[in-house]
Amino acid sequence: MSSLLKISVSVLLIFSSLSASGGDPYRPSAGAREAGMGYVCVMKNSFWSSFHNQAALAYNNSYSIGFNYENRFGLKELGTRTAAITIPAWKTSLGAVYSYFGYPDFRREMAGLSCGLKLSDVLAAGVQVDYFSEKTAGEYDNKYQLTCEMGILFHASENIRLGIHIFNPVPKSLVKNNLPSILRVGAGTDLSKTLFAGVEAEMSTRSKLIIRTGFEYEAAKKFWMRGGFSTDNNSFSFGLGYLAKVVSIDLGFSTHEKLGITSSASLIFIIH
Amino acid sequence: MKPLIITSVLFLIFTIDPVRVFGQSEKLSEIIIDIAEDLASDDSDPESVTTYIEHLQDLAENPVRINSAGEEEITRLFFLTDFQVKALADYSHSTGKIISVFEIVNIPGFNKETVEMMLPFIRLDNNTRIYSDSVRWRNTLITNLSDRPSNDDTSSLGSSLKILSKYKFTAGTFSGGVSVEKDPGEKFLTGIPPLPDFFSANLAYTGKGAIHKIIIGDFSARFGLGTNINTGIRTGLSLTAPGYMSAKNEIRQYTSTDENNFFRGMAAEFSLGNLGVSLLYSRNVSDATLGSLSGSSGGYIESFYMAGLHNTSTLILKKDAVTDVTYGINLLYNFNNIKMGIALSEDRFSLPVIPATNKLEAVFDFTGETNSIYSIYYNSLVKRILLYGELSTNKSFRYAFVQGVSFRPSDRLTINFLYRNYEAGYVSFHGKGPGNSSTTGNEQGILGNFTFEAARHIFISAGCDIQNFSWLRYRCSSPSGGMKQEIRVKFLPAEKVTIEASFAYRVTMIDDAQTIGIPELTEIISRSIKGSARYYLNDNLTFGTRIDFKVVDPSGSRGMLLLQDIVYRFRHVPVTIWFRYCLFKTDDWDSRLYTYENDLLNSFSIPALAGEGSRSYLMAKWEINDKAEIRFKYGITSLKETSYTFENRNEIKFQLKVFF
Repeated sequence: MSSLLKISVSVLLIFSSLSASGGDPYRPSAGAREAGMGYVCVMKNSFWSSFHNQAALAYNNSYSIGFNYENRFGLKELGTRTAAITIPAWKTSLGAVYSYFGYPDFRREMAGLSCGLKLSDVLAAGVQVDYFSEKTAGEYDNKYQLTCEMGILFHASENIRLGIHIFNPVPKSLVKNNLPSILRVGAGTDLSKTLFAGVEAEMSTRSKLIIRTGFEYEAAKKFWMRGGFSTDNNSFSFGLGYLAKVVSIDLGFSTHEKLGITSSASLIFIIH
Repeated sequence: MKPLIITSVLFLIFTIDPVRVFGQSEKLSEIIIDIAEDLASDDSDPESVTTYIEHLQDLAENPVRINSAGEEEITRLFFLTDFQVKALADYSHSTGKIISVFEIVNIPGFNKETVEMMLPFIRLDNNTRIYSDSVRWRNTLITNLSDRPSNDDTSSLGSSLKILSKYKFTAGTFSGGVSVEKDPGEKFLTGIPPLPDFFSANLAYTGKGAIHKIIIGDFSARFGLGTNINTGIRTGLSLTAPGYMSAKNEIRQYTSTDENNFFRGMAAEFSLGNLGVSLLYSRNVSDATLGSLSGSSGGYIESFYMAGLHNTSTLILKKDAVTDVTYGINLLYNFNNIKMGIALSEDRFSLPVIPATNKLEAVFDFTGETNSIYSIYYNSLVKRILLYGELSTNKSFRYAFVQGVSFRPSDRLTINFLYRNYEAGYVSFHGKGPGNSSTTGNEQGILGNFTFEAARHIFISAGCDIQNFSWLRYRCSSPSGGMKQEIRVKFLPAEKVTIEASFAYRVTMIDDAQTIGIPELTEIISRSIKGSARYYLNDNLTFGTRIDFKVVDPSGSRGMLLLQDIVYRFRHVPVTIWFRYCLFKTDDWDSRLYTYENDLLNSFSIPALAGEGSRSYLMAKWEINDKAEIRFKYGITSLKETSYTFENRNEIKFQLKVFF
């Protein structure tokens, strides 16, 4: 009985805390850096681009591996563990991701293979194939689904970037699945050498229109401060990041109007 | 596996190299799109959007040749103000030839925003097709087929396929065309002898001398401000585009497929020095619901049926039920700074019109067999002030009055005011004066607007229209009113970027269904915000993003959408593709949102998005050679039914265009 209660509470909480997780509950969130900026990242290249806009992978030119842990509202059952790897390969960059949300009685896993490609000096496109599974203890059905996502990133000028990302675009009346369709569009600019700011809109078949805005400021050499705001649940975010030689350490925090704070931590190793 | 295949296809599409220049018709200005969406949302006049889009498509197919055009030809760009028409004609005349569109930006009264609006509809070569000495035949044949496979309605008489075919020719000073159409559910051939459900043909002569134009067959016409005769676009249709305001006389070949809003007969335009004369005679049939008088063998017209759909036995009975004979004459004299005109018209129906008398709102509706209208109008442009007006009256001395003024205190600012007063009881069957109703009657209102180039790259336009309806209307059991306000800001930070935002506020009144007895009126207030950005990455790739948000009170229902457009033209093959992905969510039908879509030529799509789901389409155009072009469109709307089930609404369209 307690297992059933835990499952019910888990589902209720993740459905009522979208902004704190950076989007739809079926989409795993990843990256403490992105969390600190309120997930304004569709136009920004980073190690965790496989989760946000695969086109940005095209600008990754190092072999890297990273781990992320996100915990919602201090409940260990609502934790997401994520791992990713990026591999540069000539004009393209490849990525592989794995994510695990929940606990043994209710868990969602996602694995994906992605590829980002520079189409020109100002344009890049990316695509990812995803495999999702949702497993629930007891007599409940387990779900397995295959889908795809794709993105475009382009430089409108030297310091203005625009990003577009579509997740699970196939019309749901054609292919039955539980996953939402999500469209994200954003623009970002380097206001100075140390300050980036961006704004992003997201709409999904499961939620209302969400507008996000965020910034990243290099307060000292290799030390970043971040902040953001999302209209969904009026969620504020903030975060810190530090690059120590080949290791990047990031922390991110997001507030939820009613449920509390979601915290994230990332560790990225730049191999070469 | 399907997602994988689609992913691969899309990825391949975007990784092939780009490069040719876009056809201009793919760059419709946002304001034109907004007007189309606004008209589509107007339930009271569903045909107005068809007329508007068809005018634009006609203009795109036969663009105005600025360098060989006089003032009259430039007025075909109906979205320009009279100031702009005159300035452009004067400039073209004085300089001899406009070499680049960037030259137009520098003409007083023009700016980057206006030129962007004009681009799809102008050409800078000075080939005069019409006046060419050689009689060379040019033929165009367009055939459109469209179907909705997901529509499983089997109650209609015919197939679900929509068929439209148009043939046009020009040969020196002669031109003509034939159009046939079958709507979904209609039989293709009906009647005795069997003919297409809609069949239209015309032949025209266009000359330079005293005989300016003669049309035999189907035609449309407009005299003055349109309160007497206007089967084309309604004036004053946009709050933030002042170019649609003033008067214009024209007769033109009818190429539209609106089955009940044109003349069939003969029309002519003569030019005798400063005097212009237009004559028209029409004997056309119209759809109507007929009634029969008790104790009499004769029937009468209960109401006119304007939808043009004949897909059931009941609707077929309405088809061509009444004959309407129309005569019209229009005289326009051009004094130095003032043009004055008079117009007379008369409609004679084969049966008397007797509207239902049990409805109070119908008390002032037309009754009888003959309707005569007499009009006087003027237009005066003095320096920077344009005054125009029209007064029309019928035999029972019910009148329609319009008075407008436009002035341009500086090259960067244009201000307009337009007052209208259409008495209840004034009826014009082929008229359409400036205003909000489909009929020119029972409406008083004043409209004011301005356009302002606030800074080098920032354009602001705003307008307000206040309406009063002194007699009852459909769903208004008391005298009612309404208001529209709109502000639009356009920012053009760079050659390749367009950013636009608008806010619209609308108040309408309808009966409150909750009240007992005579219903009280309740105000429906809608506020909507639109934001859009378009980016031309290069000559081959365009991205467009749009966000809409709408709130309707008192219900508090909300609607929102986010859409992404991508237009891509391949480098090595003459193929262009349009792709849209749109997610939307509205609480109810009141908060529905309209989105203009690129479509086949002579067809359009502005779906009303209500509920929750996605709308996407893919359209491809293949210009096979100079002689032929193919377009294909597949659109799909997934509409949420329950948490995990979605209704599928899709449509397939195909077009073949041949030049010979």
